[in-house]
Amino acid sequence: MSYHVKLDVFEGPLDLLLFFIKRDEINIYDIPISYITSEYLQYLELMKSMNLQLAGEFIYMASLLMRIKAQMLLPHDINENLEEIEDPRTELVQMLVEYQQYKMASETLRNLEENQQHYHPVSADPETPSIDPDLFLWNVNLMDLGVMFHKLIETLPKPTYYEVDQIRMSIGQQIRFIHSLFGEKSRLRFFEIAKQLKNRVEVVVTFLAILEMVKSEVVHVSQKDIYGDIWLSKIKTKVQDAVANA
Amino acid sequence: MLSPTHKIIEALLFSASEPITNEQAKVCLQEEIDLAQIVGEINEYYEQEKSPIWIQSLSGGYRLMTRSEYDPWISRLFQSKGNLRLSRPALETLSIIAYKQPVTRTEIDSIRGVTTVLKPLIEKNLIETKGRQEGPGRALLYGTTSHFLEYFGLATIKDLPKIKEIEEIMHDEPGESVQEREQA
Repeated sequence: MSYHVKLDVFEGPLDLLLFFIKRDEINIYDIPISYITSEYLQYLELMKSMNLQLAGEFIYMASLLMRIKAQMLLPHDINENLEEIEDPRTELVQMLVEYQQYKMASETLRNLEENQQHYHPVSADPETPSIDPDLFLWNVNLMDLGVMFHKLIETLPKPTYYEVDQIRMSIGQQIRFIHSLFGEKSRLRFFEIAKQLKNRVEVVVTFLAILEMVKSEVVHVSQKDIYGDIWLSKIKTKVQDAVANA
Repeated sequence: MLSPTHKIIEALLFSASEPITNEQAKVCLQEEIDLAQIVGEINEYYEQEKSPIWIQSLSGGYRLMTRSEYDPWISRLFQSKGNLRLSRPALETLSIIAYKQPVTRTEIDSIRGVTTVLKPLIEKNLIETKGRQEGPGRALLYGTTSHFLEYFGLATIKDLPKIKEIEEIMHDEPGESVQEREQA
């Protein structure tokens, strides 16, 4: 057998009292104070037993209820003038009625809120910057990513030291390397050569080697357009000399 | 068909990020106009054309809005906005402020029977301070903002359902016995 305890969340003691009034169909203007006090105190006990912290307002209301209960139990002095004695519940009833009024008004506001949320203004509302961040990715192109990456790189701290590697490559070495690449071929493409090089320094050294070969008339270079590939053509007779000189 | 004036108003409403008032439209058009009437005519036109947009009377002005039947799609675009609802205590507090403004925090507390936190409502720009109360303590007075009206889809604060109407609904239930007593 399972036993379920359902605890509604009450905004405060007035809310809790209104709950009893509604549940038991009590006339708010004629509250059975003894009954409602015991219901109220039972609920407080339940909250305590569940280790829920009781707000001061709940305790205050308990004392108010008990005071009213006591006043109602006390025999009234028969008033000599037969004036009507004020009902000790009056103040509580007024509080409950007023609170209920605003509680119902807040339900009206809830309806208005819900209704209005079905309409959306035509322009972007600056007060609700609430679009799912993932949605922003819809409008991103490669260019944006590139710009972002560039900015990111710029914000990184700049290195304050540089490691200087020894260059283990000589122009002579590269001249021999180019000759080996030529083999039986009469023409080579510079981009093709550069592909086999590992870093910028190697490219520079190799380029210098080519200039050296051009100077010693071992090869002839030509380029079709600016930034285009450079063609190296072998000038046959001088090859041996260049190797010897290097 | 819309006249050139109607189209200018339509363009103004389209470009605005908040409700356009009659006064603003008058300044833009450099002539006396009846914005309410023009808006009514544009709305009629929209109705005929089965347009997905309409002009709502909000916070003393007018604003272009999408129709509610398109909400399922638009709310997907504004996923997180759809889930943002005010909490019950916040609505309770707001209703007290809306109907009783200008009102002090102590008055709000005594009606609710609990201590009220106003900061979140101020941060949401739904309420604001409206000066100080006369007398000792000079407590701050609170009232609703124009954003409050926009948030709840109201043209003016007077469009809030009357507290009497709410009372009537309330009295329909347990109130019958009261009437009976009065008749007796």
